[in-house]
Amino acid sequence: MKSRLLLLSVMGLLLLWGCAAPQPPSLRDLSFAPLDFHVPEIERLTLGNGMRLYLQEDAELPLVEISVMVGAGSIGDPPALTGRTDLYAALLRSGGAGERTPDALDEALEKIAADFSVSADSHAVTLDLSLRAADLDAGLAILADVLRRPRFDPERLEIARRQALEGIRRQNDDPGQVARRALTRVLYGEHPLGRSATTKTVNAITREDLLAFHQEQVHPNNLWLGISGDFDRSRLESLLARHFGDWSAGDLRPQEIPALEPPVAPAIWVVPRALPQTTILFGEFGIDKDNPDQYAVRVMNFLLGGGGFNSRLMREVRSNRGLAYSVYSFYQVGRRLPGLFIAGSESRTAATSEVIALMRQIMAEMREAPVSEDELALARESLVNSFVFGFTDKHDVVTMTMRLDFYAYPPDYLRAYRENVSKVDVDAVHAAARRYLDPARQALILVGDTEALKAELEALGPVVKEFPLED
Amino acid sequence: MKAYPAYWRPLAVFFCLLLVWAGTAFAATLEDKVIEHQLANGLRLLMVQRPQTPTFTAYITLGVGSVHERSDERGVAHLLEHMLFKGTETIGTTDFAKEKPLLDRIEEVGSRLDALRPRRDADPAEIAALEKELAALQQEHQQYVVKDEIARIYAEHGGVGYNAFTSRDLTTYLVSLPANKLELWAAVEADRMKNPVLREFFTEREVVLEERFRAYETNPRGLIFEQLFANAFTVHPYRNPIIGWRSDIENLTLAKTREFLQRYYGPINTVIALVGDIDPPAAIALVERYFSDIPPGSPVPPVTAVEPPQRGEKRIQVTFDAEPQLVMAFHKPTLPAHDDYVFDLIDLILGQGRTARLYRSLVLEKQLATSVQTFGAPGSRYPNLFVIAATPRHPHTTAEVEEAILAELERLAQEPVSAEELARAANRLRTDRLRFLRGNEGLARMLTFYQSVSGDWRYVLTYDDKIAALTAEDVMNTARAWLHPGNRTVVVLDKGTSQP
Repeated sequence: MKSRLLLLSVMGLLLLWGCAAPQPPSLRDLSFAPLDFHVPEIERLTLGNGMRLYLQEDAELPLVEISVMVGAGSIGDPPALTGRTDLYAALLRSGGAGERTPDALDEALEKIAADFSVSADSHAVTLDLSLRAADLDAGLAILADVLRRPRFDPERLEIARRQALEGIRRQNDDPGQVARRALTRVLYGEHPLGRSATTKTVNAITREDLLAFHQEQVHPNNLWLGISGDFDRSRLESLLARHFGDWSAGDLRPQEIPALEPPVAPAIWVVPRALPQTTILFGEFGIDKDNPDQYAVRVMNFLLGGGGFNSRLMREVRSNRGLAYSVYSFYQVGRRLPGLFIAGSESRTAATSEVIALMRQIMAEMREAPVSEDELALARESLVNSFVFGFTDKHDVVTMTMRLDFYAYPPDYLRAYRENVSKVDVDAVHAAARRYLDPARQALILVGDTEALKAELEALGPVVKEFPLED
Repeated sequence: MKAYPAYWRPLAVFFCLLLVWAGTAFAATLEDKVIEHQLANGLRLLMVQRPQTPTFTAYITLGVGSVHERSDERGVAHLLEHMLFKGTETIGTTDFAKEKPLLDRIEEVGSRLDALRPRRDADPAEIAALEKELAALQQEHQQYVVKDEIARIYAEHGGVGYNAFTSRDLTTYLVSLPANKLELWAAVEADRMKNPVLREFFTEREVVLEERFRAYETNPRGLIFEQLFANAFTVHPYRNPIIGWRSDIENLTLAKTREFLQRYYGPINTVIALVGDIDPPAAIALVERYFSDIPPGSPVPPVTAVEPPQRGEKRIQVTFDAEPQLVMAFHKPTLPAHDDYVFDLIDLILGQGRTARLYRSLVLEKQLATSVQTFGAPGSRYPNLFVIAATPRHPHTTAEVEEAILAELERLAQEPVSAEELARAANRLRTDRLRFLRGNEGLARMLTFYQSVSGDWRYVLTYDDKIAALTAEDVMNTARAWLHPGNRTVVVLDKGTSQP
């Protein structure tokens, strides 16, 4: 090894002498070989019981990563039991499984240095398990126990519940977190996407509620399982057959997706806090994944506030005026319902209303005038040329493929992505801004010294209300 | 572009991850994979080929951080890092020859203003006039500025993660690009090392103040750790926040920033890691071609301040409108001291995962807390701290939580840990190490960190043997030597007695 290094150093010196004469070309004169990149194909299989498998072998390191999606999430939580699916996820992880008590399960996992987590979002519960390749059988056995034979230990339920309650006690500690919760609540209202757990709802959840969720939703025909890493294909198949093959499909009732309530009247919502800086958050309903304008929206948002230093918000608010460290915008592309458009920043109290006015003006300009060809080219080039970075982690590719199938994206979504971005023109960007971006209909959340800003905010309008912090 | 608080680098995620390679087979693999080259000017290049995806990650790490600042320039390492995003004599400007005189005038007026502002006898009218003049000059300057052009160049070529971070120990500039853009990276970064222009200084200083508000003054977690480090150290500059105190930032000058750049930013203090789909001989040739004509500069001198032994417990209360939090810290040696290795085991046994002692005791059994974390901080170049942070569960108090933590520390000092716990910790270290190598960025960060802080990235290769040799008695001895009351600082954050 040492001799190899030495050899390379010598080579380096030789190359230096060889190349010393010509000056490096100017940055603008550089040319580049084309990049050879094709979207990798993930192997898809479906077991007899309806469980879908996504496989990607990768022998670089002796590790295996497994992700399981259960096709149900918190969107199905009844209003009085808000927080149920989060509590389910916490207890699925901590409540023991099969022959193992909760302690025994943690010890078994730690003995093989496994990482295991369970989390819930609006539409799915996701289990992630990371193993050494040699422990694949042991890991799959634990995973099968957790999915098929969870114990939902009552003591651990109480611990998980108390942790959730403490989380609620602390939910107002961080101004950014307060602002995000307030915005979601104001826009989605009483819809499951808008509610958050309270002491009352968390205390109302029983073990039976969690068992009922499990019995309704956790069937092989409602599971998406992705595996990447260092495994032998045929051995994996026999292990999966052993641990999951005798599990029969169940009756599935897809979760109902309640329709959104009509948008609320625009207002400024304040949360008064004695802080030197105000958290500023604008929001309105945005788009969902079936929206044909999504590529134009992506390009438009890159130029507005998604492209870092190449976006107008960052350039004007931060770089030109020094009014903020962070300023951004994004569209959450909703999976089954429209997601939110959010634009945010934080600025010192004295500059807060200047930043609000500036952000509104920059959004309005996006509606009023078409972007330049130069800006358009930058946004498109950036989105197209950075596409390859969605594929640097093998397991991320597996879970992305799985999610795209789960949410029924078009089969050629990834393959066609760069072309779809390339087709976006100036008119499409302008139309997208006029349709999906409108400061006149946005809610605005402010967390900070809003008492000191009272008069300025009344002038900014439209209406100023105090956001109630429930507990 | 962030001041990188040390607590973002818990031992378990970064430091400990690097202790033991999974078996000697893996250490050998890594040793084989890393290709090293040093330029005549001292710049060191470390490379690992990972051709799976046609991308690469580039880290440029300067072995200088906020710990190297003098007391009249606190915050300058981080402010300089921000300023190096402003371009060069050919990037970020329409015409540097025309821009330069204006930059000089802006600096002159801005400096006069800075000198005047803190004076009690300053004439408000004079300040207002200077402010007006500065604003007019800044306005005039904009005609020559091509805004954030480096960001633009990288973005249009598909770059992602174009950023930088400043820690107490070092400063890193990073970006990831498609594999065919290696020469673009070399051209931009070499220009940034040779011809940086610190334009738009007075605006950027305001941005850094906003960053400070955001990360520390409105954030209970940022605040409690700032107070912990500021109180645990009396003499050593690890006590200072990376970003600087508010008045530090307000009083930083362009002259000080430029001087810091000239003093420390030389190839002799630089290590570059290129990880990904690269061709090492070609990469060496490219780096030679672009970086070899930079003068070496002078080595960063070591910090001479030595923290005296702590003589008794320090106890601090911080008032903030948030639910109670508790942190405590014990002074400890840093790498390559024997006890530093032992602390990496202690960190796992006490604080990492659901079978760790503090989690079992405080979260599961006594249910006094909802989480407990342990990690090393605030840097690794000089003797540092072993930190324990806990989130109490209402109605339990920080006092109850503290008592339960101290009981576990006492147990560690009195009873030998079981062979099983030791083995489990070593196994966890080996496996997490593998996980750390899954990405280009993790590898680049690991190589530059150890090269810069310990002087040789190979430090990680010998870790396996060092850890394997540690015994239950070592753990007990180290716990007794450092985890005692006279060596600790305790900080409680709560709403205080008088609520606003």
